Amino acid sequence: MTDEKDLKKNSKRGLKVMRKSHEFHPIRNEGRILKYGAKGFSRNIWLSVAATIVMAITLIISFVTITASVILSNTAETMREKIDITIYLKPNTSLEDLNKLKETIEKDANVKSVVISTSKEEYEKFLSENQDSEEIIDVMDEEMSELMISKMQATMRLKVYDVDNLDSVKEIVETDDGFVAAVDEEKAPTYDVNQVEIATITSWAKIARTGGLILAIVFLMISVLIIFSTIRMAIFSRREEIYMMKLVGADKRFIRGPFLIEAEISGMIAGIIAAMVSYVGFMFLAPKMAGYGIDVSAITDVLNSNQSVLVCAAFVLLGVLIGRISSRLAVQKYLHKA
Amino acid sequence: MILLENVTKTYSGDKTPALDDVSLHIEPNEFVFLVGKSGAGKSTLIKMITKEEKPDAGKIVIGGIDLEYVKKRYIPNYRRRLGVVFQDFKLLPRRTVYENVAFALEIAGMSGKDIRKTVPKVLELVDLLDQAKKFPAQLSGGQKQRVSIARSVARQPKILIADEPTANLDKLTTEEIIELLKKINDFGTTILVTTHNENIVNSLQKRVITLKDGKVVDDQKRGGIYKLDDVKTPKTQTGRTIRTPGYAMKKKKVMIQ
Repeated sequence: MTDEKDLKKNSKRGLKVMRKSHEFHPIRNEGRILKYGAKGFSRNIWLSVAATIVMAITLIISFVTITASVILSNTAETMREKIDITIYLKPNTSLEDLNKLKETIEKDANVKSVVISTSKEEYEKFLSENQDSEEIIDVMDEEMSELMISKMQATMRLKVYDVDNLDSVKEIVETDDGFVAAVDEEKAPTYDVNQVEIATITSWAKIARTGGLILAIVFLMISVLIIFSTIRMAIFSRREEIYMMKLVGADKRFIRGPFLIEAEISGMIAGIIAAMVSYVGFMFLAPKMAGYGIDVSAITDVLNSNQSVLVCAAFVLLGVLIGRISSRLAVQKYLHKA
Repeated sequence: MILLENVTKTYSGDKTPALDDVSLHIEPNEFVFLVGKSGAGKSTLIKMITKEEKPDAGKIVIGGIDLEYVKKRYIPNYRRRLGVVFQDFKLLPRRTVYENVAFALEIAGMSGKDIRKTVPKVLELVDLLDQAKKFPAQLSGGQKQRVSIARSVARQPKILIADEPTANLDKLTTEEIIELLKKINDFGTTILVTTHNENIVNSLQKRVITLKDGKVVDDQKRGGIYKLDDVKTPKTQTGRTIRTPGYAMKKKKVMIQ
C-alpha cells in the first residue's frame, strides 16, 4: 500500500517537473508559429493560391451584392423624392390668392415644400419647353397668347414627407373654402393618378432593401461554406502531418497555429485583391450607371473619401476572419482524432 | 524504467484481447528486443507506452510516472520525454530534414540559439549533416529512418522506443540503423525495439521478450535467441516466405540435429 502511495506521489512530482521543464515563451512560440505559417503558405503555393482566389471572389460577390442593394434602394428613394402632387387651380387665379392658399396648405405637417405658379408663368413655362418647335412658336401671336393664358390653369406643386399618407392634404384641398373656390373642376389634383407609381416605387425600395440584405447574407453563407471546404480539403491532405506532430508531443496550439496563419495570410491577400478589383470595377462602371439615372452617389462618396481606407480594412478583416474560422474548424476535426 | 503490471487490453469489437495480462520490467540503460508475429500485440504495447491507447486493466509506469496520472492535457508534455521511432518514419513532408529535427526541440520550447547548436550535432550523429536542407521525399528509406532517429534523440530522452524501425529497409541499411541504436544505447538511453527480423536479434545478443497472442511467452534476459518455433518468418503479400540467410542456416542446423 505504501508503494502505491509513493508511486502516486512520485508520478505527481514527475508530472510537475515535466510541466515546468517545458518553459513557455509566448513570443518565441508565436514567432515560430508565424514562421511556419508563412513557410507553409509558400510551400503549399497551389493550394494557397486556390484558397486565396476563392476567398477573393467571395469578397467581391459580397461587395457587389451589398453595393447593388444600397444603389437600388437609394435610386428608389431619389425617385420617391421627385414625386410631387399638382393641384390645378382655375385660370386667372391671382398671385395673391395663390399665396393665401400656399399659406393654408403649408400648415399641414406632411407638406415639405410648395411651389406656386400663375397661369402666365405656366404659359411661359410652356413656351420655353417648346421653344424648339417652330409650329407652336409660329402660331403664338398676341391674341393666341392671351387665349392660352386665359385657358391655362394656375398650379400648386407640393412635395410631401410621406407620399403614402396624403389624407390630410386631400382633406384641406376638399374642404378649405379658399381651395374649394379656386380648384379647377376640369382637372383633378394628381395625387390619385400618381398613387400607382408611388406604390410601385415604394415596393421597389422595400425589395431592394430587404432583398439585397437577404441576398448578401445568403451569398456570404455560401461563400463561407465554399471557403470552408476548400481549406478543409487542403487540411485533409495534411491530416497525417497533424497526427505526426501529436505523436512527437506537440501542443495543440503549436499544431494549429501555422494552419491558422496560412489561412489568415490567404484571407489577407484575398481582401486586398478584392478591395482593389471592387474599387477599380466600381469606379469604371459608376459613370455609366449614373448615365442611366441610377443613383451611385452614396458609394462613390464613400470610395472617394478617407473612408475608402476603412472599406479596404473591412475587406481584409473579413478575409482574415473567414480564413481563421474555417481553418480552425477544419483543423479541430483532425486534432481531436489523434 | 519501463514497468508493465498485469496489463490487459481488448479493442472494442474484438473477442480475444490484444494484450493479455502482460507484465514486464525493463531496467535503465537496457537494450531490449520485443518480438512476435503480426497481431501478437507488439504495436498495442508500444501504443500503451506512448499513451495512444489506454489499458483496460493493469499498471504502466514509465520513468517513475504512473501513466494513469497523466491527464489528457499533459500527454504532449509526457510524449516529449520519450523518443519514438516509427516503421513509416512519420516525418513532416513539408519540412526539411533540419526543420524536422528542430521541430522536436521547438515544441519543447528550446531557444533558437540552443536549437541551432543542437540540431547539427544530432544530424552529425546520424551522418546526415550534408542532407539538412533536403525534404523527406528526396531521401532514401534508410536516410529517412535516420532523420526519424535524430528527431527522437534530439531532446536526449531517457527512453527510446522504436516500432519496427527496419521493416521497410534493406539488409545493409538495417545494420546501419541497428548500429546507430546501439550507439545511442551506449550514451545511456534505454531502448525498446520491436522487430520481425531474426538476424538483428540474433547478432546483437541482447535481451529478447517474445509476445504471442497478447501474452509474454518468453523473456531471455541475456543473449536471447529469436525462436523460430514461436515466431514464423513474415510472408510477403504474394504469400511467399521471405527466407533470410539466418532462417536457412537454422533450418539446416535443425535438420542436422
